[in-house]
Amino acid sequence: MDKLVSIEAAAALVPDGCTLAIGGLSMNASPMAFVRELARQNKRDLTLVAIVNGMAVDWLVAAGCVSRVVSGLISFEGMGLAPHFRHAVETGSVTLDEYSEYLLIARLRAAATHVPFIPTKAGLGTDVLGLHPDTTRLEHDPVSGEAYVACTPLPVDIAVVHAHAADVLGNVRVEPKLIWMDNEIVNAAATTIVTVEEIVPHESFVAEPQRTTWPRFIVDHLAEAPWGAYPTSCFPRYTHDKEFFGAYTQAARQPESFAAFWRERVTGPATHRDFLQANGGDETLARLRRKEA
Amino acid sequence: MKMAGRYSIDELMVVTLARQFDDSTCAFNGAVSFIPVCAYLLARKTHAPGLVWAASSIAIDADPHCLGESTLSDAIWDGAAMLSNSPFDFWAFAQGMHYNTFAFRGAQIDRHGNVNNTVIGPYDKPKVRLPGGGGMADLGCMIPRIYLWSTTHNPRIFVETLDFRSGIGWGDGGDDRERLGLPGGPRLCVTNLCVMDFHPTTKAMRLKSLHPGVSLAEVTAATGFELVLPDGPVPVTAEPGAEELRILREEVDPTAMRLREFG
Repeated sequence: MDKLVSIEAAAALVPDGCTLAIGGLSMNASPMAFVRELARQNKRDLTLVAIVNGMAVDWLVAAGCVSRVVSGLISFEGMGLAPHFRHAVETGSVTLDEYSEYLLIARLRAAATHVPFIPTKAGLGTDVLGLHPDTTRLEHDPVSGEAYVACTPLPVDIAVVHAHAADVLGNVRVEPKLIWMDNEIVNAAATTIVTVEEIVPHESFVAEPQRTTWPRFIVDHLAEAPWGAYPTSCFPRYTHDKEFFGAYTQAARQPESFAAFWRERVTGPATHRDFLQANGGDETLARLRRKEA
Repeated sequence: MKMAGRYSIDELMVVTLARQFDDSTCAFNGAVSFIPVCAYLLARKTHAPGLVWAASSIAIDADPHCLGESTLSDAIWDGAAMLSNSPFDFWAFAQGMHYNTFAFRGAQIDRHGNVNNTVIGPYDKPKVRLPGGGGMADLGCMIPRIYLWSTTHNPRIFVETLDFRSGIGWGDGGDDRERLGLPGGPRLCVTNLCVMDFHPTTKAMRLKSLHPGVSLAEVTAATGFELVLPDGPVPVTAEPGAEELRILREEVDPTAMRLREFG
């Protein structure tokens, strides 16, 4: 019944060639400790499903783990484009299946609910539909004649998300209740891995069951990773590290400087704790901790 | 960034956009959206106290004391009355047209207000791989009041033909949106040179006003398609008031994050 494994063992559950959906949104709450470990374990030929993402996808592309990305948007937002992702798509070493956010959500919901398609008006009149006419089909309602897009199921092998707390049974709590689009990938996935800021006693869930986000039968494997979303945020505990995003982008301008940065500040450190230490340790964490948290 | 006189172009753009909004505006924002975020906050702090703005599409009625370097981060959520659970609440509010206002920009914009944020060049062999349309293809179909903005009005952005249509504006023009069963459409496009609206029947972009000091020749040279001109002389964009400028500078965006949108 105990689902707790180490972050290394959790990452080892991902086989090469796997379709892996990564949680979080933009600068927020991606399972970065897990993603770092995937890069360290040299995974290959992954298909990433990441609805709106940046750093997690860029790390895995930089590490050569990825052959395909299914996404609505990949960037560092106000801090620019994701450099390795951009280069890999421009040179053709990674294939990008671009969808819009809601078309992806609809495809994940079709997978989650075992129906042939979910209809939506999203995407009508855009070139996005033409990229994949088999999975986002333009159709007309036989009764009203109204146009809609039929979004077919998007199967996901493994979903990995980061949350605030869990008991060892796999009951998971996200605080306050900002689960981004993580529910969509968790519901669609055959296997769900959750990394959490802390493991708490089961009694804590029984005392306040209304705060539980996912029940234990939804969660297959758990790993404890304090500051496990760093350098993305984990609201309301800590914000994203804009210094890291800036330094990463700066280093990526030259292969030599990036190789050093990558080794020293990303994949080199042996443990997640060492990784935090390599990025400024307590001083950095104090700067990122939100005051009200 | 300074123009001659008491305000700069970013301030003129924010104030012009803010004046479009009223108490019925129910808005949210996406990535790198400093100009509309400033405009929503400015409108709420001046003439539209009932305006709703969901910061990052999540933090409803947020009232941040300043803006951060990302418009999709917790830096701008302080003071919110609700942090909405995005997949359920957000898409329900958007598809239900409770959210009625959205502003987007693009690496390319065409005469009908369609936008590209996907690729420059062919999709399979892109010259530049852009961030991606994100929610553009969704929200362009769902939200009735669409506003466009661009801080760099030039022929590379305002193009005859998009390399990729990531989000729909007025589609192919005319009644295209109506035929697709989509509500409303783009109302206005505010740039660093001028304000444009759309011709009521063809839905082609039409010059509405020139910013002070900008000539018609400058705007037509900076636009890669033939811009519809208004009947009669072209008006000059109304200037910001002193109180609007004070509130924008001191209360809305005291650290001037909006300048991040200017190269």
